[in-house]
Amino acid sequence: MSISKDYRKELRNAAGSGRIRLALSRAIKSYRVNTDNALKRFPHTVKMAEEVRLIKEASIQQMAELARKAGRSIEENKGKSHFARTAGDALRIIGDIVGNKSLVVKAKSMTAEEIRLREHLEEAGNEVYETDLGEFIIQKLGQRPMHILSPAIHVPREDVAELFTQITGSKQQPDIDKLVATARELLREKFFKADVGISSANVVSADTGTLFMIENEGNIRLATGAPPVHIALVGLEKLVPTLEEAFKVAEVTWRYANYSVPSYVSLVSGPSKTGDIEKVTTYGVHGPREFHVIFLDDGRTQLAKDPVLRQALYCLRCGGCLYECPVFGLTAGYFGDKYFAGIGAVWAAEVTRNMEKASSMAYTCLTCGRCKVRCPMKIDVPEMILALRKSIAEP
Amino acid sequence: MKKNERNLVPPGLSYIADNIGSRDNILGLPVEARAKWAEGIEFSRDKSTIFFAGCGYQYSSMLEPLVTLVRTADRMSIDPDLPVVLAGIPKKMGVDVAGIYTKVLAHGDGGDSGVLRDAVGVLKYLGISVGYLGVEEPCCGAPLYHMGLRREFAVNAGKTVDRFRSHGVRKIVSIVPSCTHALRTLFAPAVPGYDIEVRHFIEEVADKIRPGQFRYPHNVKVAYHDPCQLGRYMGLIEQPRRILRAVENVELTEPEWTSGEWSTCCGGGGGFEVVFPDMSQMLAEGRIRELADTGADVIATQCPGCLMQLKSGLKALKKDKIEVIDLATLLARSMNTK
Repeated sequence: MSISKDYRKELRNAAGSGRIRLALSRAIKSYRVNTDNALKRFPHTVKMAEEVRLIKEASIQQMAELARKAGRSIEENKGKSHFARTAGDALRIIGDIVGNKSLVVKAKSMTAEEIRLREHLEEAGNEVYETDLGEFIIQKLGQRPMHILSPAIHVPREDVAELFTQITGSKQQPDIDKLVATARELLREKFFKADVGISSANVVSADTGTLFMIENEGNIRLATGAPPVHIALVGLEKLVPTLEEAFKVAEVTWRYANYSVPSYVSLVSGPSKTGDIEKVTTYGVHGPREFHVIFLDDGRTQLAKDPVLRQALYCLRCGGCLYECPVFGLTAGYFGDKYFAGIGAVWAAEVTRNMEKASSMAYTCLTCGRCKVRCPMKIDVPEMILALRKSIAEP
Repeated sequence: MKKNERNLVPPGLSYIADNIGSRDNILGLPVEARAKWAEGIEFSRDKSTIFFAGCGYQYSSMLEPLVTLVRTADRMSIDPDLPVVLAGIPKKMGVDVAGIYTKVLAHGDGGDSGVLRDAVGVLKYLGISVGYLGVEEPCCGAPLYHMGLRREFAVNAGKTVDRFRSHGVRKIVSIVPSCTHALRTLFAPAVPGYDIEVRHFIEEVADKIRPGQFRYPHNVKVAYHDPCQLGRYMGLIEQPRRILRAVENVELTEPEWTSGEWSTCCGGGGGFEVVFPDMSQMLAEGRIRELADTGADVIATQCPGCLMQLKSGLKALKKDKIEVIDLATLLARSMNTK
């Protein structure tokens, strides 16, 4: 039986409730309008996306080499670079740095979600706060994210008000402005009290060892700037050779994530330092004293060898495909494992290695191909799904 | 491949795969049930160019009740896998599967098999002459490929091509999108030396159609639904629109955001309708809403799967002022012969 019973039930319930459909139909409409406007205002993006596809193709072929190069750059910048072959390695490395009883503020990261980093740190006795508003809501609700960029896309304001009432102990109105102000208040002191800030990166340039982090809320700036230690967990597929190429990847990513221009793009290459007193270099001025980057393989090198499935590594995680997927429109992240929809099936099979989920997802995909039309990298999801079904049906 | 080696393929799909292997069609119908739709039609004796009918339209009168059955089972929270449903549920639900088979055998057509007659009529009207292999027509085996059974697909493709060659076929005019895609894109890598030209019906029509040849009986607003395999897989987006613009009394209308390469799947893609019947129905209804919002009187498409899905969506939403028809039927109604 290739479709697991629990998964089928989850999908049916999600689709049957109608709530996800309503939330998603509004989100899809505004995504299409916003992206259309962003591409009209910056029409060079389409051509640039073609260029980025070539950059990604070349980079995926040399991930290990790029990681070594980036590692050397980061060490030269006085940061620490680590290489994790498996999810377990990454958890151990990060666990050793964080220790226990630490207060941790976290930026949203799919890679951290992939290895269940938050849960691991919590189990080790640390207090971990998700600082992206959507992710914070999901963490407090004890649910899992339903969209890669808008994890709480399925939660209406009334539910947020109820949740915040429980957390604060005082009655919260379902007024979005006020709810956002409450979140700001709840998290503000955590940023400054935190021992460690954890982030990921949208793209990393190997020549300079620079992490690019795209955001709108400002939580990443605070989480990676205020605490004395910054740890970044980066999948190998995020590496590109040069700073110039990284800028192109970043711009294409945010534009297809439906932002004309995001409020913040942070570029971080090393720890905070000063030479202002007698030209003696001293670390940890206003920003972190320690800067750690963990490059994670966890199946990516293996995946890069597959001529069809390697396309999954070209993904910029802009989330555009999800808005075009008819099944996702009914079920949101229930059509998913750690990553969602058709491309998520490939990640489930090759990276998180949840074969039961992967095969269920492979036969959930309509193979309609509208995601490919939207994708700035023109990732051929139907082709990957059919290849995946082949490996399932003819092992 | 043995059945038990397919344990990760959903059983509903495996059932279809077995039928292709044993009976040369997706439903496992006996040879007497095949090519009934073509009775009385005169085809060219020259088989160098043939019309390829495929399974979807031909057996739609069987497929529709089966999918309805599977959907009902799904709603009743019974495991909606086709073989399970076929084995026990129909009796309890008062549905007579054997009766449906008998009906198809007796009448031959019904359902959407008339689309095939319409298509052949339109080709003739445009002076395009085609032969037909009749009960000898092989199955393209496309569902095998889509469910991941590539070895079985390749074996079937080899047999299919042998059949074509034995009849001297050089060119195929095909009408079911998934057959067309299989015959023209998936066969070449599977069968060495494969060189048969494969064209879709709408390409042939779009090349030949001239203003004044077709006139719909009255004024209608038509929304065209692009089947995924026709539009996104084969890029046949401009052709159906060129055809519709050439038909007098037809005003073409398009949904905002979701036409052409952005068209929304009807919910019947890749066997989804037998694996997730209930969600498939929701998607069909969603697509009908998008198309109906254009104010169309007629929704035209060109795929037996889409036709079935869209009709089902239309019925559930009780949009009885709108008609879903195949493009071939729309053209047949518009021929200036009467």
